[in-house]
Amino acid sequence: MAHDHDHDHDHGHDHDHDHDHHAPITADAAPGYYEVMETAVREILIAKGYLTANDIRRQIEVLDSRTPALGAAVVARAWTDPAFKARLLENGRTACEELGISFYDDTQLIVLENTAEVHNLIVCTLCSCYPRPVLGLPPDWYKLKPYRARAVSEPRKVLAEFGTILPDDVEIRVSDSTAVIRYLVLPRRPEGTEGWSEAQLAAIVTRDAMIGVIPATLEKEAA
Amino acid sequence: MPTQDFVSRLPNDIGGFEAGSVQRVEHVLEPWEKRCHALADVLDFKKLINTEEKRKGVEALGETLIGKLPYYERWIVAFANISFTKGFFTPTELAEKMAEVEAHFAEQQAG
Amino acid sequence: MDASPLASVVPALKELPAFAEGQRVRVLERAPIGHYRVPIYLRGHVGTVERVIEPAMIDNEEEGYGRNAGNRLHYYRVSFAMTEVWDDYEGSPRDELHIEIFETWLEQA
Repeated sequence: MAHDHDHDHDHGHDHDHDHDHHAPITADAAPGYYEVMETAVREILIAKGYLTANDIRRQIEVLDSRTPALGAAVVARAWTDPAFKARLLENGRTACEELGISFYDDTQLIVLENTAEVHNLIVCTLCSCYPRPVLGLPPDWYKLKPYRARAVSEPRKVLAEFGTILPDDVEIRVSDSTAVIRYLVLPRRPEGTEGWSEAQLAAIVTRDAMIGVIPATLEKEAA
Repeated sequence: MPTQDFVSRLPNDIGGFEAGSVQRVEHVLEPWEKRCHALADVLDFKKLINTEEKRKGVEALGETLIGKLPYYERWIVAFANISFTKGFFTPTELAEKMAEVEAHFAEQQAG
Repeated sequence: MDASPLASVVPALKELPAFAEGQRVRVLERAPIGHYRVPIYLRGHVGTVERVIEPAMIDNEEEGYGRNAGNRLHYYRVSFAMTEVWDDYEGSPRDELHIEIFETWLEQA
């Protein structure tokens, strides 16, 4: 992989799990302490009438319906429809709502356009703010210290660790999410995609390109 | 380091800190982790525990625990602590319920 | 003189944003205990208001204490030069950091 920077530890996705904390649950495995706690907290709150089992079930369906494919559809539409792109850059939330993407967490969305001159990157240094309505839940690396600590102070080194080397004349804009605004990067449309359909374009837009750590390329590289 | 720096810096305020290289780790959420996330959203929708109260609850675990516990483990402990404070349930009620849940799981495995 | 009534509308105290797009602002050097949402690495730094975020909202630092209603003020998306934030910044002098900051944390620079 082009982004390999540490061959001792990074041999691909199979090794990208934290085995200590996320051992697969099988029929024989006793649930862990925190799973027991989660079940207990939820059941007490339901028994006391604070919430219902259906509230939780429905929200799991909401979460399952939010994946990077939604963001990719938004990007592909912006690449092919200039009027939509203009509305998207003006107000990310209302433009996504046009496509039927609801903002269940009541956040606003600012879409940041990458150009030949400007490259955007998103991070949340204080916690894990992320455009969940359009991308789903963030990957672990987005929530871990190295990315959160360093993306704001040495973004070029962090990008290089993803295999993204930007020339000095490209301006980097790092957006640190802290409150009610979430960000989505609109990657540059790769050359060689002239005449492609929206569906073909959406298929090459990756989650990581919409976080801003890699470009969109003809070869879909990451998740 | 003057002690005031400990009380005025939140454990998760790490922007600009030195840290190792980014390892592109990710995992598919365990079912309980996804339920925990859904629980967080529902608690916020109903303003029983809003998102910012959850963040503050996680910070309240302190740097040591934040460093040791994974993500959703931090959340569920924070939810328990905040629930005690808000009077949703007591520590005893939670302990009893956890024992019951554990017994129930054990029964299922035996059966 | 028949002045339009539109010209004499009086907004409530703090209803309108205190800062405008393009204005230079400084993040206060304050170091509160309890909860906060302005990272320490930005305290005291000077940036430019890129846009006023509408509508006005409740301070998320207050939300942290369970206040789900109350007085609303504006958030501002503020841009900082990386070289202004980090003394030893390596990169282009044009690189920027953008962040949203609540009104109570800003002063005119």
